[in-house]
Amino acid sequence: MKGIVAGVDIGSTTAKCVILGEDGQILGKSLSAVGVDIVKDAEKALEAALTDARLARSDVSFITGTGYGRYKVYFGQLVVTEISCHARGAHFLFPKTRLVVDIGGQDTKAIRIDEKGDVVDFAMNDKCAAGTGRFLEVCANALGYDVGEIGPLSLAAQRPLKVTSTCTVFAESEVTSYLSRGKDPKDILAGLHSSIANRTLSLMQRVGVEPEITFTGGVSQNEGMVRALSRRVGSPVNVSPLSQFLGALGAALHGRERLPGGAS
Amino acid sequence: MITAGLDLGAGTVKGALLEDGERILALASRPSRGVPVTSARAVLDELEEGANIAPGEVDYLCTTGFGRYAIPERHLQVSDFTSSARGARFLFPRTRLVVDIGSQATRTMAVSETGKVLKFKMNEKCAAGAGRFVERCSKYLQVPLDEMGPRALESAHPKLISSVCAVLAETEIINNVAEGVPLSDILMGVFLSLAQRAHSLMRYVGIQPEVTLVGGLVRSNGMVKALRDTIGMEVNISADSYYAAALGAAILGHARLRKLRTAPGPSGG
Repeated sequence: MKGIVAGVDIGSTTAKCVILGEDGQILGKSLSAVGVDIVKDAEKALEAALTDARLARSDVSFITGTGYGRYKVYFGQLVVTEISCHARGAHFLFPKTRLVVDIGGQDTKAIRIDEKGDVVDFAMNDKCAAGTGRFLEVCANALGYDVGEIGPLSLAAQRPLKVTSTCTVFAESEVTSYLSRGKDPKDILAGLHSSIANRTLSLMQRVGVEPEITFTGGVSQNEGMVRALSRRVGSPVNVSPLSQFLGALGAALHGRERLPGGAS
Repeated sequence: MITAGLDLGAGTVKGALLEDGERILALASRPSRGVPVTSARAVLDELEEGANIAPGEVDYLCTTGFGRYAIPERHLQVSDFTSSARGARFLFPRTRLVVDIGSQATRTMAVSETGKVLKFKMNEKCAAGAGRFVERCSKYLQVPLDEMGPRALESAHPKLISSVCAVLAETEIINNVAEGVPLSDILMGVFLSLAQRAHSLMRYVGIQPEVTLVGGLVRSNGMVKALRDTIGMEVNISADSYYAAALGAAILGHARLRKLRTAPGPSGG
């Protein structure tokens, strides 16, 4: 017997929840900010997704927690690392995925997976803000933009500049000095995006670059970054509007396998 | 012979005026403010004024630091490693390990008994290992830079920072503030974190006494204490250590000039 399952992904900046129906269709989802009370944020994420799905808590037979705050999902029955969840989620959306690239607000991961969506190898940077969403955020703010608007702007660059600093702090100064020299912010933004693409590629190379590549995490919603990354790897990358929910989706899928009669 | 040394650093331009390569006539510094050339000219004027000499009386100008190529009237430029090691040896002749913590980079140089740089290691890639980290903390903790050291010295239980990235550490520090950790403990944690970064660079080149600290951060007594505590060894500092690279440049300039003046001309060689 299969039932309705939920996956809750508590990231460093946002909480995501996905409710999966018996046939594997997405019944509801939610996305909300994470504050200081992570336990409450997890509850809220689930409630919001249930509302979206027009379901009650009692309709859900299994809940899985994942993400940086996964141990705070007290109401769940299972905890799975976000790496396994991203792998499973990417496999679900794009079954031919062999490499998942996840750029989040605070870390970047490259995960190589097999044809079943299981993790083969992974590499990550969680030590340093360089090459993560945080890098883009800091530099966007230095230019006076919101991180949400810089992707399209970067695509309109006429003469992309080179941002050579690895460190976010030094890149911020580099950006400011470009600005004071009268450079076009769009050209600076293009440079920032390719700088992250370069860093991401070296992380990908550590596990082996193999198509298809699925780009996930919050930064994958930035079309400038999608373009920069696919140009850098020399092939298109899969992106889904659901990619921010991949961790939660993967968590739900892992939970589903635990149900009696669930896929193993 | 009067030689001038200019150290065009990322944060500050420092200058030294020397007579015969050994007597300090004047020292001066100005913030770089992104235009080190302008600041360098002002420093040079200040040096001449301080020593009460006319511009033409400077026999030789030697530059160092990241902006060393920006001064067209220079006679010579030397690398930061060389100048800073030379300056440290001038201040403390028994120096065998030099640590230079500046705004943009931290450098360590092992020097031989005769003052030759044997091995060096530098971090210039990451702000967490340079003075920039302290500058940023000063900004968001709203403690003026020159007060950070004295405040840190009041710390009873330094709050160590686990993040190795200046940006991620910022979040960590703000959380500490929110949790009510005393400011002095947070500040000492910042200096200790920088000292640990410097320590690993120092271990790479080999630690042996005497250790001399130079560069912008030498002015912060919090940094000096953090470094002494971290390496468990005495660290030389003096009021002039801040100008070590500029002094080194002036000394090296003097050595070059003397060589030029005593060397036989092209016809005699």
